[in-house]
Amino acid sequence: MGKYVVKRLGMALVTIFLVTCLTFLLMNAVPGSPWLSEKSPSEATLAALNAKYGLDKPLHIQLLKYLQNLLKGDFGVSLKMQKNRAVLSIIKEMFPVSAKVGALALCWAVLVGVPLGCLAAFKRGRLTDSILRVVCTLGISMPSFVVASILLVSFAGGIASLKIFPTIFDASAGWRTYVLPCFALGFYPMCYTARQTRSAMLDSLNQEFIKTARAKGLKDNKIIFKHALRNALIPVITYLGPQVAFTLCGGFVVESVFSIPGLGRYFVQSIQNRDYPVIMGTTVFLASFIILMNMVVDILYKIADPRINLMKGGE
Amino acid sequence: MAEAKENQKLLEVKDLRVSFFTPAGEVKAVGGISYDLDYGEVMGVVGESGSGKSQEAYSIMGLLQSPGKVIGGSITFEGQDVLSFSKDEMTAFRGNKVAMIFQNPMTCLNPVYTVGNQLVEALRAHDKNISRADAEKRAMEMMEMVGINNVEKRMRQYPHEFSGGMRQRVMIAMGLICHPQLLIADEPTTALDVTIQAQILELMKDLQKKTKMGIIFITHNLGVVADICDKVSVMYAGKIVEQGPVDDIFYNPSHPYTVGLLRSMPRVDAENYERLIPIEGTPVDMLNPPEGCPFAPRCQHCMKICLKKMPPYMEIGEKHRSACWLRVLERMDKKDQNKEGNQDGKQ
Amino acid sequence: MAEDKKMKRCPVTLQPDIEELLDWNSYSASDFDSASVEEKADFIQERQSVSYWKDAWRRLKKNTVAMVALGVIIFLVLFAFVGPYVVPYGYEQFNKGAENLHPFHYALEDQRRLDAEVAARTETETLSVDELIARAEEEAAAKGEKLSPVDIAKIRAQAKVAAQNTPAQSQQVDVDALRAELGIKKKLFGYSKEELERKAKGETVFPHVFGTDMYGRDILVRVMYAARVSMSVGICAAILVLFIGATYGAISGYCGGRVDAVMQRIVEVIYAVPEMLVVLLIATALKPILTEYVNMGSGPLKSFVSVLGPNLISMFIAFGVLYWVTMSRIIRGQVLQLKQQEYVTAAKALGASGGRIIRRHLIPNCIGQIVVTTCLQIPSAIFLESFLSYLGVGVSAPLPSLGSMATDALSGMYTYTYRLIVPAVVLSVMILAFNLFGDGLRDALDPKLKK
Repeated sequence: MGKYVVKRLGMALVTIFLVTCLTFLLMNAVPGSPWLSEKSPSEATLAALNAKYGLDKPLHIQLLKYLQNLLKGDFGVSLKMQKNRAVLSIIKEMFPVSAKVGALALCWAVLVGVPLGCLAAFKRGRLTDSILRVVCTLGISMPSFVVASILLVSFAGGIASLKIFPTIFDASAGWRTYVLPCFALGFYPMCYTARQTRSAMLDSLNQEFIKTARAKGLKDNKIIFKHALRNALIPVITYLGPQVAFTLCGGFVVESVFSIPGLGRYFVQSIQNRDYPVIMGTTVFLASFIILMNMVVDILYKIADPRINLMKGGE
Repeated sequence: MAEAKENQKLLEVKDLRVSFFTPAGEVKAVGGISYDLDYGEVMGVVGESGSGKSQEAYSIMGLLQSPGKVIGGSITFEGQDVLSFSKDEMTAFRGNKVAMIFQNPMTCLNPVYTVGNQLVEALRAHDKNISRADAEKRAMEMMEMVGINNVEKRMRQYPHEFSGGMRQRVMIAMGLICHPQLLIADEPTTALDVTIQAQILELMKDLQKKTKMGIIFITHNLGVVADICDKVSVMYAGKIVEQGPVDDIFYNPSHPYTVGLLRSMPRVDAENYERLIPIEGTPVDMLNPPEGCPFAPRCQHCMKICLKKMPPYMEIGEKHRSACWLRVLERMDKKDQNKEGNQDGKQ
Repeated sequence: MAEDKKMKRCPVTLQPDIEELLDWNSYSASDFDSASVEEKADFIQERQSVSYWKDAWRRLKKNTVAMVALGVIIFLVLFAFVGPYVVPYGYEQFNKGAENLHPFHYALEDQRRLDAEVAARTETETLSVDELIARAEEEAAAKGEKLSPVDIAKIRAQAKVAAQNTPAQSQQVDVDALRAELGIKKKLFGYSKEELERKAKGETVFPHVFGTDMYGRDILVRVMYAARVSMSVGICAAILVLFIGATYGAISGYCGGRVDAVMQRIVEVIYAVPEMLVVLLIATALKPILTEYVNMGSGPLKSFVSVLGPNLISMFIAFGVLYWVTMSRIIRGQVLQLKQQEYVTAAKALGASGGRIIRRHLIPNCIGQIVVTTCLQIPSAIFLESFLSYLGVGVSAPLPSLGSMATDALSGMYTYTYRLIVPAVVLSVMILAFNLFGDGLRDALDPKLKK
């Protein structure tokens, strides 16, 4: 097991490194600079600014310096959006908000998605199953901005009587404020999870050992919940990793629509503003987070399935 | 331990019919079979794939999967009508009075639970009062009985850590843990290699002697049948075409299909130049089973009447039955001869 | 015949007792003749063997949901590609006077009635001082009198006082209530006032089915073009991914060994990269580069790039770089599995070359999976495109995209809800239809799955 973890960690670091370099190259390949939108500064001012922020050195030196700083935990400072504020502190302020909304969204996605998927698997071929399948496919077909907008319109504007949830996020306003954004954000993962659970349960119920369990005289409940579900959850775990990524990225939209002061929205703004250090910092941070989560889920998967015996190297 | 009750058979199957209602039509998997089994008797059910032999066994345990349904006949186990069991009665029945072991030990055990867990579960499903420790002890005894060593360690291992033969032993242990009266073995050795096959068969013979349980042994391998069974039912296209004591079947096969099967077996002592004699033709399409004897198109002795009507069963020897028009013909000829003899006598 | 043993009645039922049979003598001797080969052959009713594709098509046809989805897709294709010829407005056409139309309108006479009522009820407040005076002069003229300067001054003073005393709350007559009162109903489709007038004159005016946006551009046409863009992007991206992924996967699977191992490591790394992030970055980064590229002179490539827009190109690039991994994995899996199949070994044993094996054996068996995966990539691509357009890095204006239309609609979301709903619904339906059809295809082509 240890060997696997180390190997996986190594791969994760390589990927993070690649993403960092790629981002850096892209940022610098783009013509234009952070200073352009302000009143056109003179040549001398430009040169001075560039020198101050080290933007005048050759690219590979900039990259090297950046990496060195990264290892020290220094993500640089924001050049434009919040002048001279350390990127790391920006991240520290904004990420927890995104994380909370995202985590809640994922929780409800799994807690609702798995039972729905099981239900669809049992009532397979019947009306309940068909309805659930169409609804879940609908769910994965609607981009988050569609869901978010529709929610806003229904609950806040269009149907006046349903104004029960606030439309602007306000952390101090209690649990109500989380309902709409988490629902909007979690809708896609929920539908996706339900679909995966359904197909995993169907696979599981078709296995031979279910026949054995029935022949042993086990009660139906036991067969479904102890034998089938446990096997079905294994592939479902593997989908959780990419779901984390998706939820975080879907967060960009939801945060914009609901005005949540989170990292995703900030990221998009930083791109539009060409604030390099913020772009770099947020990308590296988000990418690392996602890659690490993928790694954790992969390891969880290996643990959950005893067939993959990492110590002995399998059968 | 099985008890013999006066005049009561362990299992009586009468005219059992099983059909699968598929979108393509009704597949008549089992078209009316009858047999009975005494306590402690070992019956072999022989036939090709698709002959319905597994399906009739599943219907005894109520394991038929939809779209399969029992559409006729009766199954009586120790005097009880199995087909009319409620769901609860059936769950109590399975594993407890009748156990089943399957063909593919590789996939028949749940890979995410330890073997011990699964054995104990089988026991506790039927004996609610037994304590965990006692259940584990019983499980370990059972594992020893089927010839697994190192039971303490093995209990905590997962199925994928056992070899094929060992897994089949575990399956047998799981089947026998509640001391059922009847064990149904659905091609238990087909997926194993020959040496392991022999071991498993020895084990089963051994256990049968010890526990005096009845066994229905389903296989397509006649060699296995000769080894372990007391009597044999030969199935073709959902019908029993011949049934009788094992010696009779082997030395006096009467149905052309049985004859063909025996002839097509490769023999270790065959000469180099001897060719294998297969049975010509292909198995019947169960979606549209024809009128008449299902084996007719492949039979060398096929007569016109064979194509028109299903032959009736005829006793050919002590408890030896066969469904073939040839036998009817023989009987009719014999009768005519007797008639002439009488007439001659009378005259 | 007492000597004959009584036949035991066998528990097989349905079969008559042998005794009866023998006594009947209903069977003639010829019945017991051997049957000929032809008779035996007739006996067997062969089931027709069906080819794989016919079988799959049959299964697909039975799947109602998939068939409905197919119907919707066809409708959308017609909508997007044929629709604009039906609607006379261009997607870029600023229809003067027709700005901000809702997808419903009120009949001309109704509107006039309404205006009159409103004017009647809010006379003193809404009219300016001069208008008041003018009105008074008219009334006086009608009576044959003339307003004296004193009267005019009085009116002015009245107005001033009235204005000062006007309470803070709005004196606007509640137009909706008034409409309800007058019994004015909404009529379908949006027309501007002057269009209604033209219509009244007998001209056929095509309605603005979904209303117009703030520049007067007809939304229906824009949605049609946007749908066209989305679908084209989806299909092209899926095909691009197909070629890259399938080639990569097939080579990797077929070669096996070291080559495969290396190629798979690369795939794993790419798979681990969070796609949306990188796509966003690439799209944002490449936009200025491509814009410069386009601006520097002309040429067929450049005009191609400029028509599509730099954003779209960068989206294709990003898509092509990142999204092919799924396809390659599936194809590789198929190839690996098929490689083991015995007919491949048989073909090799017969001396077939590698290329021939790939062409004749491996690919036809993969086609099912290829078709399904490609079909399911289309909605992913449309999804991505709309997401990027929403964030502003998708297709560039003026070419409409469903995502960018949604972004534009956000600002006026509560008043002009339809502007958001229409593209959102069309987008969702499009992706949904492709997904459902892809699912149905998969069920039809791989029957082992979840029967």
